[in-house]
Amino acid sequence: MHIDRAQVIRDPWFAVGLGIAVGFGLVSLLGPALAPYDPWSMAFSPISQPTGEHWLGVNDGGQDIFSELLYAIRNTAAFGLLSGLASLFLGIALGLTSGWYGGVVDAVIMRVADVLLAVPAIMILILTAALFRPEPWVLALILSALMWPTVGKTLRAQTLSLKGSLHVRAAAQMGGGGGYILRRHLLPEMFPLYLIGFAAKARMAMFMEASLAFLGLFDPSRKSLGMMINYALQFYYLDVWWNWLLPPVLCLSLLIMGVTFLAVGLEKVLDPRLRADTGGRTWA
Amino acid sequence: MGLRVDNLTVVYRDGDHGVLALDDVSLALVPGRCLALVGESGSGKTTLGKACMGLLPRNAGIGGRILLDGRPLDPEDEAAMNRVRWSSISMVFQSGAANLNPVHRVLDQVAEPLIQQGGVDRSGARERAAGALEAVGLERVLHARYPHQLSGGQAQRVLLAMAGILDPDVILLDEPTSALDAASKAFVARAIQGMKAAGKAVLLISHDLEFALHQADDMSVIYLGQVVETLPASELLSNPRHPYTLALGRSYPAMDTARDLGGIRGDAFYRIVHRHGRDDGGVAPHSHIQVPGSSHRDGHAPPTGCLFQNRCTQAVPACSHGEIAMEEADGHRVRCLRGGIVRLLRMEGVSKRYDAVQALDGVDLQVQAGEVLSLVGETGSGKTTLALTAAGVLRPDAGTRAFDGADMDGWIRRDYRSLARRIGVIYQNPAEAVSHRFTVFDAVAEPLRIHGLAEGRGDLEERVKRRLGDVHLSTDRAFLERYPHELNMGAIQRVCMARALILEPSLLVADEPTSSLDPSVQAKVMKLLLHLQAEMGLSLLFVTHDIGLARKISDRIAVMMAGRIVEIGPASLLLRSPRHPYTRLLLESAAGRLPEAPPAREGTGDRDPGCAFAPRCSRRTGDCLTRVPLLAGHGPRRAACHAPLPEG
Repeated sequence: MHIDRAQVIRDPWFAVGLGIAVGFGLVSLLGPALAPYDPWSMAFSPISQPTGEHWLGVNDGGQDIFSELLYAIRNTAAFGLLSGLASLFLGIALGLTSGWYGGVVDAVIMRVADVLLAVPAIMILILTAALFRPEPWVLALILSALMWPTVGKTLRAQTLSLKGSLHVRAAAQMGGGGGYILRRHLLPEMFPLYLIGFAAKARMAMFMEASLAFLGLFDPSRKSLGMMINYALQFYYLDVWWNWLLPPVLCLSLLIMGVTFLAVGLEKVLDPRLRADTGGRTWA
Repeated sequence: MGLRVDNLTVVYRDGDHGVLALDDVSLALVPGRCLALVGESGSGKTTLGKACMGLLPRNAGIGGRILLDGRPLDPEDEAAMNRVRWSSISMVFQSGAANLNPVHRVLDQVAEPLIQQGGVDRSGARERAAGALEAVGLERVLHARYPHQLSGGQAQRVLLAMAGILDPDVILLDEPTSALDAASKAFVARAIQGMKAAGKAVLLISHDLEFALHQADDMSVIYLGQVVETLPASELLSNPRHPYTLALGRSYPAMDTARDLGGIRGDAFYRIVHRHGRDDGGVAPHSHIQVPGSSHRDGHAPPTGCLFQNRCTQAVPACSHGEIAMEEADGHRVRCLRGGIVRLLRMEGVSKRYDAVQALDGVDLQVQAGEVLSLVGETGSGKTTLALTAAGVLRPDAGTRAFDGADMDGWIRRDYRSLARRIGVIYQNPAEAVSHRFTVFDAVAEPLRIHGLAEGRGDLEERVKRRLGDVHLSTDRAFLERYPHELNMGAIQRVCMARALILEPSLLVADEPTSSLDPSVQAKVMKLLLHLQAEMGLSLLFVTHDIGLARKISDRIAVMMAGRIVEIGPASLLLRSPRHPYTRLLLESAAGRLPEAPPAREGTGDRDPGCAFAPRCSRRTGDCLTRVPLLAGHGPRRAACHAPLPEG
């Protein structure tokens, strides 16, 4: 899997995805600084239309919707990032271990993965959130523990194929131990798969976070795109959909689309079946 | 009877030091046999001849004994020597005409020993001299000529006639063919056969290995004044036991050897004897081996031990200590601490099965230190499996493997890394053997990194660059940072070579390293590989389906068929007269001729008992179908066939 960096960056899917992701990343990082008001302050007149002071108006609780939106994006993105990274970490650790050592280790890890794949993640999360009311980051980690199997299985398959490749066998012949080969040959070799795995899991986690928030399973004072949508829907009849409902829906969609585009762009470059031209080194 | 030399030591004194020309040389000349003394120039061959004749210069100090017909000779007793010279022992000196007196006619010179010692009168002597000259093929018109009027070959014949004129029992020939053409050589050869038939003891001093090997019965190989091996002449090329003998044979362009000239790595030591303050003028009690380019005063020259250690392919630290004595080994007498050429790798009864295919079926194989052994055979004959088993990469189902005298399987379990350091592998597909995420530098540095052998970045870089230089690749920064897919196949394979050699292994296993290269690149890569093989003194196990290539590079060839070795032997013999019909088939196919045997049928799975070649073999007998032939034969040549082809 050799990546031509210039080719990846020129890919339109990747470029658009990267643009969106960077935009949201900046918003998340700078959110508190950009927000014109404190999103928890109920100092304004409730359910106002957008004005020069309140770009997206004010909600039913007298809070500035634009400020709320910035904080919500920050929370949702952080949840996705944490959950994506944790899934990826688990997937790498368990997938490589499984593929490299094989045998009993492989059998155990893969059976656990099969079980997790069969369990509906959303149900576990709803139950956990409703029963234990954990902090959001705990939920993110629980989600990762449920999501890693797909990443793990991909990496295991790749490890198995790399294990048989000549340069890995050559390194083993030269006396390179498991640790050395994992570090120098396998980990760097699968770098593109990490990006794909991360993107897929982060996307799923963000959607999950919005769903849970929509269902009201988080602390009600925590800003979230899902919760904003929920509240906005309650006042749908007041003709506030375009300034209150639409922004969080659009942001959520764009966030998920951005990360998806990134993944599609990478996959297109790496998976020969998605390449328009499979001959030679010119990518689609 | 004949001539015996016991522990002869000769030192040429020069001021306060001396040069040790002969050191503890013992040999015996037996009537009716010819002993050849071979070695590089400067090894002391001529000194030995002159010592026997009592003709050493005054500054020579002599130790040991020379016995002529059981009676000791005193080379310094001029009168006694005069009595035996020409009548009992004679010598044909090197470089023909220069040894003849330019102011006398050749007839008179040949007649002179008769007059001086034989007590024959002048005319009788002339008559007999004329007869002797005619016997060596010189017509009467030439007899009255002066030496400068003769050609080199004619002068050599005069010397031969002169040496035999008094019918001595012992004849020493010093480089009798060094300046002769092939036809004149044949004449000298016939003369030597005549002397042997007449019951004379002949010493042939020569650096012409092929001539010596055909004329002599026994052979002594001399290196820096020491005899390192005495062996039957016929085994010089096919079964040497001392690493120097192997290297010497490989350096000589014999007609039979197909392999390209190998050369011997490094330079010879000098041997200097120092008096160290003794003023009695005698030979000092110890000698120093001196490395070329250093002086004794540098003080870092190894003081003792084997003279060949710095050029040897199997030297161990113990080789630089003490005196190394001659010892018996396989019917040879060898001066080697390790008992002659070491079997670096020894595999016995090695079998390996992949599901339905018996890839290896009870294979015995030995790889000697410093040799190039090729495995040839069709695809699927088990060559690669055998090579990878030899490298310790694959584990056989049955059989034992020993590397450098130690059990290999135990070694792998105990400490694979230390074994891995001693075995390098070059693969068939160089592009896949290097991770595409590694730069050239990373690839070559990999073994050093795995074993943590480099001391810091500077050392790592220097060693990588040195190895890249060895394989004639660029060492500039831009090249070091290239990726394998940016290089051509030949260059990647050379990167792989540098990687396999950077730890200076003792065994290099190369699995079809050039089959993905075009012929011109292959030639370049192979030349480099063989040069490095010789320079680093490593053993090369070379897998190839290309017999033509194997012919050019191998000391020995093993032919594989259906998981077995069916024939093994010195490359020259095996290629000239194959004994197994399958080898003949391969040779015929390789030469582009249509072989008489029908092509193999693929995919028959488990075979019937018996020889795998039997269904295709024209020499098949009943046994061939029922009983597997085992490797049999004498000496280094073995074939596994119930009805082998005659030795030719």
